[in-house]
Order: sequence, then C-alpha cells, then structure tokens
Amino acid sequence: MSSVDSTRIGFRDALMHLAKERDDIVFVSTDSLKVVKGEPFLEAYPDRVIELGISEQNGVGVSSGLASSGLLPYICTYAGFLTMRACEQMRTFVSYPALKVRFVGANGGLHGGNREGVSHQFIEDVGILRTMPNFTILCPADGNQVYQAMLVSADVDGPVYIRIGSGREEKVFPDGTPFPLGKIRTLVDEGSDVALFCHGFITGRVIEAAKSLKEEGIGVKVVEVATIKPLDREGIVGILGETECAVTIEDHTIINGLGSAVAEVIAEGNPAYLVRLGLQDVYGESGFPDELLDAYGMSVQDIIEGAKKAIKQKKV
Amino acid sequence: MDLEALNAMSLQLRRDVVEMVYRTKDGHPSPSFSVADIITALYFEVMNIDPSKPDMSDRDRFVLSKGHSCPVLYAALARRGYFPVDDLYTLRYLHSNLQGHPYAPKTKGLDATTGSLGNGVSIGLGMALAARIQRQTNRVYVITGDGELGEGMIWEAAMAASHQKAANLTVFIDNNNYQSGGTVSEVSGPYPIEDKWKAFGWHTQSIDGHDISQILSAVEKAKAETERPSAIICKTIKGNGVSFMVGENSWHKRVYTDEEYSIAMKELGGVV
Repeated sequence: MSSVDSTRIGFRDALMHLAKERDDIVFVSTDSLKVVKGEPFLEAYPDRVIELGISEQNGVGVSSGLASSGLLPYICTYAGFLTMRACEQMRTFVSYPALKVRFVGANGGLHGGNREGVSHQFIEDVGILRTMPNFTILCPADGNQVYQAMLVSADVDGPVYIRIGSGREEKVFPDGTPFPLGKIRTLVDEGSDVALFCHGFITGRVIEAAKSLKEEGIGVKVVEVATIKPLDREGIVGILGETECAVTIEDHTIINGLGSAVAEVIAEGNPAYLVRLGLQDVYGESGFPDELLDAYGMSVQDIIEGAKKAIKQKKV
Repeated sequence: MDLEALNAMSLQLRRDVVEMVYRTKDGHPSPSFSVADIITALYFEVMNIDPSKPDMSDRDRFVLSKGHSCPVLYAALARRGYFPVDDLYTLRYLHSNLQGHPYAPKTKGLDATTGSLGNGVSIGLGMALAARIQRQTNRVYVITGDGELGEGMIWEAAMAASHQKAANLTVFIDNNNYQSGGTVSEVSGPYPIEDKWKAFGWHTQSIDGHDISQILSAVEKAKAETERPSAIICKTIKGNGVSFMVGENSWHKRVYTDEEYSIAMKELGGVV
C-alpha cells in the first residue's frame, strides 16, 4: 500500500483493495463519485458502481435493498446529506433491520467543510448516529487510518459509519498503522495529571498541545477514541481512574458526540472533572480548516487551557 | 393455482384480516383489502418462492411500500406456509413475530422492512440492481399507495430506476383513491398517475386491481419489457369485499364489533 495522503483517497483506495478481494462490494453514488476521486474505481469495476444521481434518501433505500440481497454497499457522500437528509432511511431501513450498509460521510466537522460554509460543514453526524442501535461509528484521524478502518470494518455486523473530511487532513500516523477497531488508543503517555480524549482530523493538534503541556511539567495522556460506538467504556474508565480529569476535543457539536459520551461514562459511577471542547452549540462559517478550528475553540492554546482548567477543578 | 382457486384465496386472505383485526383489536383492514388481489396473485401464482427455503438467493422479492397493509401480507405468508396461521392472531402483541408494520428480521418470508411511506420503490430498486450484479434472473415486485405518491423519494427512485434500466422491477400502484385524511383528490392531487410514471420513463399499464386475470396478464407484459421498469396502476376499492367498509374511510384503521365481524365474514364467504 502506498502512502495515503487524505481521508477521501483513503476511502477510495481501500474500496479498490476490498473490491479486488471480494465480489460483494458495491459503490453507491449519489453523484458523489467525484467527491472521492472515484474514477479509477469506476474504470476497474464498472458493474459495481450504482450511480443514482443526487438523491440521498433513494441512495440509502437502494443500499438497504442491496444489503438485504447479500451485497456489501458503500454509500459515500457529504455526511449531513446522509445523516440528516436520509436520517430516517438510515434508521428504519438499515439500522433497525441491522443491515450491512457502509456509510462514508465526507466533510466531517468545520475542518471537513471549511470554506463551503455551514450547509456543507457537518458537526452533528456522530451525535445523530449515536442514537441508533446496531451502528458502529468510526472517526479515523487521517487518510491511512481511514484506509485501515475500511479494511477492518468490512465484516462488522450491522451498519458502519466512517467519518471522512475534505481531503486536507494532516498525516498523523505512519503508513500501515493498524486501526484499533472498538478500542481506545493511548497516543501520548506522559503522566496522569490529565487525559485528552480526541478523534478525527484534530488529533495532530491535540498531540501538539500535549507536547507543550509536558514542557510545562504537566503529566498528560492523549487518548484517541476513534470508535465512538460501541464505546470502549472499560478503556475510558481505566484512563479516568488514573487522571481523574479529562478534556474532550472534537470537531463536532459538544452535544451527543465524544464529549457527551465521556460525560456519560463519568456520570455513571466514574467521577472525574471534564472540560468539553468542540462546537459550543453554535454553527461555524466559511474559512480555512485550521483557521476555523482556531476560531471556534479548538486551537492548540484552547486545548492547553482546557487541560489546565480540568486539572485546576480537580485540585479545588 | 387456477383463477377460481386464486379468487377463493383472496377471499380467504380477507377473512384472515377480519379475524386478525377482530381478535387482536388493531390493524388496518381496508388498506389490506384494496391490495388483497394483487398480493394473492403474487404469492400464489406469480412469484418464484419456496417457503421451505425462505432465504433462497434467487427468489423473487416483494416489498410492501405501504406497510400498513401488512395484515393481508401476513395472511398470505401464513397461507403459503411460512408460519402457522395461528400466529396471525398475535398481530401487534408484545414479542409477536408480526409487528405493526413489516419488520423483515422477525417474520419468515418477509423480504423488506417497511412502514414509513415512500421508501419501498428505492428498496425494491436496490434488490433489482442486486439481482443484476449477481447475474440472477429474479424479479422484484413493489406495492405503493396512491396517497404515498406524495413522498418525493418515490420520484427519486422512479427517475433512478428508469435511468438504470431496471426492467426486473415492477411497481403496483394501489389506486384506491383514499389516504388517511380523505380522498387523494382532496388531500394531495396525484392525478394523472399513469402519465407521471410514463414521463419518468416507465412502461405503464392501467388495470382493475381486483381482477386477478388482469393482474396476471399485466405481470406478463411487464416481464416482456427488457429496458424499462414497469408501473401497473391498479384501480382498486378500499375495503373491497365488505359492503359497509366501501366508501367509509374510517375503516382505514378500525376494529370490528361482533355484529360487523359477522356481516363481514358472511359477505366474504366464510362460516361464522
């Protein structure tokens, strides 16, 4: 496998890989083939691409029919056009009968939607899907991790959602790093003053913040929660037991995403102080990816301050 | 099955629906009656299915897009031998295999989970395209309502199916002229129905949806199409078969009294 330099290409290349190995793979396009530069897939597997035009509800319904007939459909388009426009189709016709449909949602977060503005920046996708039984929800950090997540999730029972971005993600993991399906992963382990839980395309800046905290003498862990559902509760409880305080950092509304998931674990018998970074119940606006994260409370400095706030609460 | 036996079966299925609704005190009787003859034709003559092999991969598929008509579909599955007839009297009860609206994982012989309107044509299209990809010759049948045509997703699927040349997909439109709130003309204005499907590139036919010979003949014509999916607009009567249900839209969802039950059973040729 060559280096994958974006989440969109990670998806496409993994789909090529899977289609080479098995004959049940189908790409369902709602005029979204170009979003993931899917032309090579179409060229190699013309019979495995179903182009439906711009019709996401129809796309999810068709995917339900394909999956019930024994195929493994991947439907990929912008995250909100799936999780909001086709929300009911995802729930009633895929999640409820637990069909093996794979949803790949592009433009996840402000980083993913960036200059397109709010209509194309999806900060609710994870929160919506967390309410649906049977779903596996994956938020990989970069292109390579999307590639790996695609491979390890192909045979997971029930529906799977994989969040991807705009194609402008920084590389976090070396090529070939496995994706830890269903498990948290500690990326930085430099003491137990505070844990920074994160996922997705902001993972790099969380690691950067951790370096600064370490330089200031603060013991910090960075814990990646790339599988939001099913949540590795045991892993999170273990970390919280060590640090007794945490910051969650997500490019998503703080309502019902990673921050809420960790808060639920804390509230249900694992007390710890928590600071939630992410969209504070507001929409974003147009801008460059990193500029937006900085402007909406997810800068490296915000993470550093969040960590200090969490530690301070613990000491009061 | 010959025509006489099919007609007898359609009466049997209607009696089953009356019995189910009477005993369990819930369900949609008159929407079941308007599709009873189409479902009889499909399950007892048209479809290549085998109740001893419900998961046979190249079986024909059926999607009841207007899922609230499921009592008659459950009756057909039971009479076809997928599960005991006695199961019918657990309709909508806790832990029953017969949910208020169709849920495929629980009901043997059921191909699709449906219930919220507008979704069945897309699901059927997915099944039809799957057959093509798997190089199988099976066909897919869908029933939608006429009120249901107000759902935009129907037309997304209609456009995509003709673009995809899904000739193995046949959609019956149950044109009983009623929806929950009144006649479709008053509430949503779907007419002209056939012209709309034709404009979307479908092969279209208009038939009497209570004449099983017309249904069988229309299916044969649909099968002869090699490029276009087929829409069969079925003129039907909501509550067809029981005099007091015809023209009385409250039977969309209503429970029989003892007296109504007796009259209905007698009119449907049953012994009470």
